[in-house]
Amino acid sequence: MSQDDTTAQPVTPDAALFQTAPASAAYREAWTATGAPRDHWRPLLQTFSGIGEELLAQRQEKVGRMRHEDGATFNPFDDADAQEMAWALDMLPLPITAREWATLEAGVLQRVRLLEMVLADIHGPQQLLHQGLLPPEMLFANPAFFHACHGIQPTAYRFLPYYAVDLYRAADGSFRVFRDYGSSPAGLGYALENRIVISRVFASLYHETRVQRLAPFFHNLHQSFTMRAGLRREDPTIVILSPGPDHLLYFEHALLSRYLGYPLVESQDLTVRNGRVYLKKLADLEPVESIFRHLPDEESDPFTLRRETINGVAGLIQAAREGNIDLANPIGSGFVDTPALPLFLPGISRHLTGKDLLLDHHPAWWCGSAEGYREVQDRREELELVPAFGRGERRAKQAAPLSSAPYAWLGREPLSPSTVPACEAGRIVSRPVLLRLFACAVDGGFAVLPGGLAITAATAEELLSGHPERQHSKDIWVLANRPVEPFSLMEGLESVTEFRRSSDLPSRVADHLLWLGRYLERAESLIRLLRALYRRLGSETQSRNLPELPFLFALLQARNPLAGKEGDAVPLSLIDWDEQLHSTLYRREKTESVVALLQRVQDAARHVRDRLSMDSWQVLNRLGQFSDSSGGDALEHLDDTLFTLSAFSGLAMESMTRGFGWRFLDMGRRMERALNQTDLLQISLQQVCGAGRYGLESLLEVADSSMTYRARYRTTFQLAPVLDLLVVDESNPKSLAFQLNQLAAHVEQLPQQSGRRFSSPEERLALEMLTAVRLLNLSGLNCGVAIVEHLELPVFLEKMKKNLLDFAQHVTAHYLSRVPTTPHFTMIPAEGEHVLPNHP
Amino acid sequence: MYYQITHNTTYRYSEPASLSQNELFLQPRETAGQRVLASRLDILPAPHYQHQRVDFFGNSVQMFMVQHPHSELQMTALSEVETRPLAVPRAELTPPWQDVAASLAQPVGDEDLQACQFLFASPLISINEAVTAYARASFFPSRPILAGALDLIGRIFADFHYDKAATTVDTSVAEVLASRKGVCQDFAHLCISGLRGLGLAARYVSGYLETIPAPGKEKMVGADASHAWLALYVPGSGWVDLDPTNNLIPAERHITLAWGRDYGDVTPVKGVVMGGGVHSLKVAVDVRAGV
Repeated sequence: MSQDDTTAQPVTPDAALFQTAPASAAYREAWTATGAPRDHWRPLLQTFSGIGEELLAQRQEKVGRMRHEDGATFNPFDDADAQEMAWALDMLPLPITAREWATLEAGVLQRVRLLEMVLADIHGPQQLLHQGLLPPEMLFANPAFFHACHGIQPTAYRFLPYYAVDLYRAADGSFRVFRDYGSSPAGLGYALENRIVISRVFASLYHETRVQRLAPFFHNLHQSFTMRAGLRREDPTIVILSPGPDHLLYFEHALLSRYLGYPLVESQDLTVRNGRVYLKKLADLEPVESIFRHLPDEESDPFTLRRETINGVAGLIQAAREGNIDLANPIGSGFVDTPALPLFLPGISRHLTGKDLLLDHHPAWWCGSAEGYREVQDRREELELVPAFGRGERRAKQAAPLSSAPYAWLGREPLSPSTVPACEAGRIVSRPVLLRLFACAVDGGFAVLPGGLAITAATAEELLSGHPERQHSKDIWVLANRPVEPFSLMEGLESVTEFRRSSDLPSRVADHLLWLGRYLERAESLIRLLRALYRRLGSETQSRNLPELPFLFALLQARNPLAGKEGDAVPLSLIDWDEQLHSTLYRREKTESVVALLQRVQDAARHVRDRLSMDSWQVLNRLGQFSDSSGGDALEHLDDTLFTLSAFSGLAMESMTRGFGWRFLDMGRRMERALNQTDLLQISLQQVCGAGRYGLESLLEVADSSMTYRARYRTTFQLAPVLDLLVVDESNPKSLAFQLNQLAAHVEQLPQQSGRRFSSPEERLALEMLTAVRLLNLSGLNCGVAIVEHLELPVFLEKMKKNLLDFAQHVTAHYLSRVPTTPHFTMIPAEGEHVLPNHP
Repeated sequence: MYYQITHNTTYRYSEPASLSQNELFLQPRETAGQRVLASRLDILPAPHYQHQRVDFFGNSVQMFMVQHPHSELQMTALSEVETRPLAVPRAELTPPWQDVAASLAQPVGDEDLQACQFLFASPLISINEAVTAYARASFFPSRPILAGALDLIGRIFADFHYDKAATTVDTSVAEVLASRKGVCQDFAHLCISGLRGLGLAARYVSGYLETIPAPGKEKMVGADASHAWLALYVPGSGWVDLDPTNNLIPAERHITLAWGRDYGDVTPVKGVVMGGGVHSLKVAVDVRAGV
């Protein structure tokens, strides 16, 4: 890069880095005090110096897209403008030398060991309190200390199996601890994702540089889970407990679930019986041995801790108390998040281990002690006043709060972390950075992830805000002295796949899969219909007089009641069809518009993200782009979307094992298609003959059976063979009979309470419908005869529709709402009044 | 005094409830002034799971689960206790309240340290300026701590009206202060908040009180209720019970079930049920004096 410096080339990134470096005292990760690049940054800077701004922007865009396709930025909200993206990935990694890493690793190991001892003490003998190493406020005024968790012995006596810590580098180059996380440390999934993306984008650089691999850590994490869970049952069930898809970091929960092979569950999936935790599945309740918990402590058990939370598993603490569940982390470990705790750790470390801490903490003073109070009073202009307890980064206006409860406050030195070159919007800028490192329990101690999440933000204040959506993240490259072992991330994946053993699945997941199938089919059939309309309307001929148009519009109107005033029938000729079609495509408020259905497809898919393959997920993310703002021809748009939907269905179906998940997805599709075909035929019987052969042709087109018909009959279009193909032909995958056949086969395979066949109402209904369609007589039917009057078909269709709806209801009642999930809490107040004569 | 206490709680559900979980603090504690002669809990339908433990504060807790569909759940706690009045410290001889607050701020002995558990705000008892100011009026500088506390409960007794409809279990002390209405639990919470606001240690006590029927009337079965009061830490004398609802220092007519930081720690009957449609609830408490 030195040659670039000497020439008068257009601004190269490294020169830009150099120029934007702030003139502050902060340590610069990439540059020495004299402005020369640090040695361990050279290969990186070299790579970027050759790139040029345009390519830089392209690369960053690629990084963004790769993450997008992995679902990291999947918009959890309906409003497309409110794109919330946690820890957007910045492609420039943060390298750490092997030597510095050794210091960091040793420091983190020492700290997490100590914190685990602290947790064991406060939940047990509380010696630290009695010996004056922790002031009483730290326990009794601290909302992160839960009395209900005192005395609980966690599995294998591991009080802190999983831990994260934020560090920063001070101006003197040393690392300091800023914050500890025990309650539900976040960011591990993002660290993993960042590594996957960056190692692909910078494949050659990554492989040339000796970067320590992350996979062994995940292997350790998994081993530690199976070891603890395996103490209870040989073939343990380990689940990841997430607040659900509306959570900002849901992506991370889904990714960890897929990577570790643990089912992703939400609170409603779990129930406590006999002091044990169970997963509600289709067939039965399955015992759970271990929970990788991604809910904060106070939301984990609404029964014991807090009634108003919607998350959490009532009775979870009782199960832990009984020693029946392994929690990572145990409830109550959020105590280590207490902002004031680090101030007491040096003393505790000396007392418990006889050693000083290797890592200093960020300078702060606790107003609950006389010296701390004085210091804060004396320096109130310089220091920031922040809460000593709780997790918020809420800052106080000076002076006011100190008078009433000084122990609730810390005076903290303003943070000025080191700066690092960051790529934002195609430009290289200098940003303050925090390092989030992770540790997990291993046999006899802990292991630290050799890497982590480097978090950057526009200002130091944003960096501390606790809003991942306002921050960026980087991959941390821990450089090795020796060649690294080729321990691939995929290997980690393989070693755990054996734990996906059961084909049974949570009822909630089955429910979402069923609806995913239904919405997919509904969207596809609507698109087919619209496509048939646009094809005819789009041509330059006098297309509006085509004979089949009224029939097609009637179909559309049946699905999608058109906007007439007060339900009056509007003469077809008066309707502004272009306007109607446009709104059927793009109006979000309309429940049966294409865009609204696609939204529902995505919502349903979002809830079963861990069941879908990466590939199908990437395809699905494209559906989010469907809107009229994208311009272009509507017909083209419909073709594309249908293609995407088919690709998704194909991928989803192909990559799923033929377990219950697949069955419910397919049942949803079959139910919807059968209902749709029934509706279609009911309308057709009244309309199709009026349009002559074009009517039959378009019926086949909408029913997606034209090709089959032509292949089979080659002749002109006639009513009897058309109906035969659409209703009774069991070899046509679009026929009603085909759907019913499949449905009957599915329900037969579902778990049954009684071993007897046809004992459940849904089994009996499936059989009844299938028999009815098989016995249906269509002979002698043609357009010349008054079909409506003298045939059994209308009666048949009416009855079919009712049976299909009943069928859907029975399946739901039987499999999907096995256990009511709405809890009712009661606490009876003490109501005593004055009942004694007043004392003398 | 000898007492027989029957505490019956009945839930009825309009549709069968599939799963119910309950936690009960209904077994009286042994205290200096109270001996527990017998205590029993009957549950119908019989629970599948039952667990008993002693909590952080030394109270007995029972937890149980009914796991099959049921449309009624009945819990009956039967206890026999013997109470005796304790010597009440002479209020004027107790230490000045500021000295107590100062020693609790720098606890040295084990007793002080234990008292510190009840020194700070807790989930249901916040500390706020208005309530602290209300309490402060009873605590002029150097006033003996118990004298101040007795003055405070006297003022609460005079200023506040008993009103069952005015509050719920979630009503905050600030709201109680503003409305001047509530039940025993609210008065206890308010008083505790004021004392803690002054740096004193106060705990919430849950229990019963023998009711005395109006002159000439027969006592009605089941007319009693759960009662609540508080205890104040007085160095040198230990914990002194105070009943702001009745403006007195509890003696042998008060039966102690459990204590904690606030009502939430020792809720006599707490439950969660899945399903069950519309719920109805009946509570009947009967405190019977014997010989």
